[in-house]
Amino acid sequence: MSIVQRMASNKASSAALTFELVAKCSTTRARASILTLPHGPVNLPIFMPVATQASLKGITPEQLESTGCRLCLNNTYHLGLKPGQEVLDAVGGAHKLQGWKHNLLTDSGGFQMVSLLKLAKVTEEGVRFLSPHDGSPMLLTPEHSMSLQNSIGSDIMMQLDDVLVTTHPDKARMREAMERSVRWLDRCIKAHKNPDRQNLFCIIQGGLDLEMRRECCREMVARDTPGIAIGGLSGGEAKDDFCKVVAACTELLPELKPRYVMGIGYPEDLVVSTALGADMFDCVWPTRTARFGNAITKHGVLNMKKEQYAKDFGPIEDGCGCPCCRPVDQEGAIGVTRAFVHHNSAKETVAAHLLTIHNVWYQLHLMGGARDAIIADKFPAFVKEFFNNLYPDRKSYPSWAVNALKTVGIDLFES
Amino acid sequence: MTFELLKTAVKDGGARLGRLAFSGRRTVDTPNFFGLTSRGVIPHVTPDNVEKHLHTNGTYMALEDFIERPQQYMTRSPPIYETPSPINKPLNSFTAMPSSIITVLGSRRLPAVASPMGNTNQGISVFTSTGFQAVTTKEYLNAVQSLNPDIAIPLADLTHKTNTPTSKRALRMAERTDDWIKEWFTEMYKNKDSKIATFAPVLPISYSMQWEYLERLSEEHASNPAGLSEIQKPRHPPRLALTAPSTPHQVLRQLALGMDIFLLPFLSTASDAGIALSFTFPPPPPGSSESSELLPLGIDMSSPEHSISLTPLTDSCTCYACTTHHRAFVQHLLCAREMLGWTLLQIHNHAVLASFFASIREALADGTFEEKAKQFQLRYEPEIPTGLGERPRARGYHFKSEGPNEQKKNKPAWSKFEGEEGEQVKEGEKKVEGTVAEKVGELRIQDEQSGSSGLGSGVDSVAETPLVPDENADAKDLEEKGFAERVEEEKK
Ligand SMILES: [Zn+2]
Ligand SMILES: [Zn+2]
Repeated sequence: MSIVQRMASNKASSAALTFELVAKCSTTRARASILTLPHGPVNLPIFMPVATQASLKGITPEQLESTGCRLCLNNTYHLGLKPGQEVLDAVGGAHKLQGWKHNLLTDSGGFQMVSLLKLAKVTEEGVRFLSPHDGSPMLLTPEHSMSLQNSIGSDIMMQLDDVLVTTHPDKARMREAMERSVRWLDRCIKAHKNPDRQNLFCIIQGGLDLEMRRECCREMVARDTPGIAIGGLSGGEAKDDFCKVVAACTELLPELKPRYVMGIGYPEDLVVSTALGADMFDCVWPTRTARFGNAITKHGVLNMKKEQYAKDFGPIEDGCGCPCCRPVDQEGAIGVTRAFVHHNSAKETVAAHLLTIHNVWYQLHLMGGARDAIIADKFPAFVKEFFNNLYPDRKSYPSWAVNALKTVGIDLFES
Repeated sequence: MTFELLKTAVKDGGARLGRLAFSGRRTVDTPNFFGLTSRGVIPHVTPDNVEKHLHTNGTYMALEDFIERPQQYMTRSPPIYETPSPINKPLNSFTAMPSSIITVLGSRRLPAVASPMGNTNQGISVFTSTGFQAVTTKEYLNAVQSLNPDIAIPLADLTHKTNTPTSKRALRMAERTDDWIKEWFTEMYKNKDSKIATFAPVLPISYSMQWEYLERLSEEHASNPAGLSEIQKPRHPPRLALTAPSTPHQVLRQLALGMDIFLLPFLSTASDAGIALSFTFPPPPPGSSESSELLPLGIDMSSPEHSISLTPLTDSCTCYACTTHHRAFVQHLLCAREMLGWTLLQIHNHAVLASFFASIREALADGTFEEKAKQFQLRYEPEIPTGLGERPRARGYHFKSEGPNEQKKNKPAWSKFEGEEGEQVKEGEKKVEGTVAEKVGELRIQDEQSGSSGLGSGVDSVAETPLVPDENADAKDLEEKGFAERVEEEKK
């Protein structure tokens, strides 16, 4: 048994953020930390639910708060269209618009343009695309993105990057995208009006080419942004490749800065990425899947619409402490059964709201559990138990997870 | 159950002040209203928010919302009957409705869809999410005894059609209902411990026939009926209005005839339409300038005029929506078709009604009710505004079929999917629509699981955030909103 490593200097601050490393796993690269943002502290590692249009799938900010969430996402692209920058300025930003007292993170808006608009074209100036309505040529620049995110007032804002799918075949184009993303970071830093109260994070690009990723890391780190994101993943790449990229980046990133892997949210991905040294994650999946009647549990995703749940009067997940599932004699318990969710799945919006509350709670508490385990230096045991719950049969453990964890000293097959 | 009549406005009849109490439940001061549920939920409001923010002391639930027979599982008994309930309130336990809230169980939703099958001597026809089915008086009795609501309304031989029944139909209605009530009282209280209060139905029939029916009711079951459930003859038991008044004006009129508790379908209708109800009782004193103008009963929150307004939905309201949020947010949510918009409006609209009834009770207590009711009728517009906001999608069981020429309740979704599949649902086959909706739901799951984004196939697009660009956003919008700038020529 080894002792939790504590550093002489475990705290770093920039104008609008403090990062305090609380503990490091003595086996893996997992870290537990406290990230203090303009709207309060958050514990890392963390999952951040996505309130795309300043609202999380019908649940109130008060209910979101009750899941323990203190940092969630808004999408710049969506808020840019509705309600629009003018309204955001008049209202005084997105916190005020949605009545959210805690932290917000926004993306750059570029991802939506590139991934959803077939006709988007990236030039040095910015992202060119045709207006979806009237076909007029449009341009989204790093400066536009910064200006919008400044109006939104998010606690963490993301640089506009030249994002390509990691499986893009053209190596030269990949390099161009990586280098351009660095140049665009410089433009973003220059255009960012509120560095004293909003944190701009850079985004590491470079596809699946680990050397290119490393080069990008060095360039980005040199620009000394308060936090660092690993971008371009969550696309079609193989999970093995995904893990290699995360590992290659975390190896080079400074210890006292938060590391954010964008767009991932499956529980296995969160646990493995945490082991590889990442701290922050976001994904629409947990909340979107709630609308299809899916409950995330430690034993996997259960579809509440299945007939087998029609007369199941147990909680959505046994032992879950969320307001839906906690025992009815506890404070704030709603007393929801699987049968009731089944009864209203795809029929009344309330069923989706309840599953959203449960799923967000699950994701937040998965990360909370990982954090506790890191602090107690029992993270490897936590990881093993997690996979053991998820796959009762060891033979079905995903090989990518087994391999990735092996690189950081966890052997899932060892008892 | 106890019902205490505290005061009546006029000697024999008229509006009255009362107090309805069930042990272990919130006491209900009357006149008041109960929340109306769909499939056991107040639409858009989770049970925790019902308890915390809705300020309603009771809810009405319809048996037909719980007894559908899914096609593949025709022989399955409805799950609700097997609900374990430590508090011995299976209806509350199944629906997660807080135990402090009084439950009323009736057979049909309010308003109910008229059944093409009609009723028989054995029972009525109900409309479930999988279609019409028969419910016999025996089945209904068993259901009520098993679910143990606080208040139950026995079956009545109603047609749920708008036209008045012929005298022949009316006579049969009275006779059948009479028989059914007899059976009800014989069976219902065999178990001496039953605490279920029967609110006997009053029928939409002529005064003389009604009189006979009510006489029999009071003679034969004098010790039993705890209440009456439709507007009629003044009597001592509490009266629950199943009359579905469509405006507060109608509420005031029925209240003046002596009704005690109301069920108000217009509440959810207004919320779905993006309307924040804005009336108060009594109305605000007429200002000097706009004294002649009628005040609106509600405000259309989807209107762009609220887009930067940081004021509460209505000035005096202290509801969760008004104290935590503002018009700009609700306007944004409605415009972005985010479900939270309807949730906040439901919370607000229920609060407006709660304070409407509280003020009415005050006025009844201090003798100013009639005067203030008159002012109300004079100050407010006759109807609740319709609202231009897009509504949440209606499901098959949500609405009434009004014949072959009725308008579609749902606009065709912007996806192709609906066009291909949804259109196959012919007019007049509304019961199929529920099934189609379910099938569509399943397809979407497969869609999601198979890894394709499923973003474009949003049949239930209302609740799904569109990730593809807003179809209404033209280049000018994008530019004005600062999202991007228009470029004149494609530079190489
Ligand atoms: Zn739960
Ligand atoms: Zn209000």
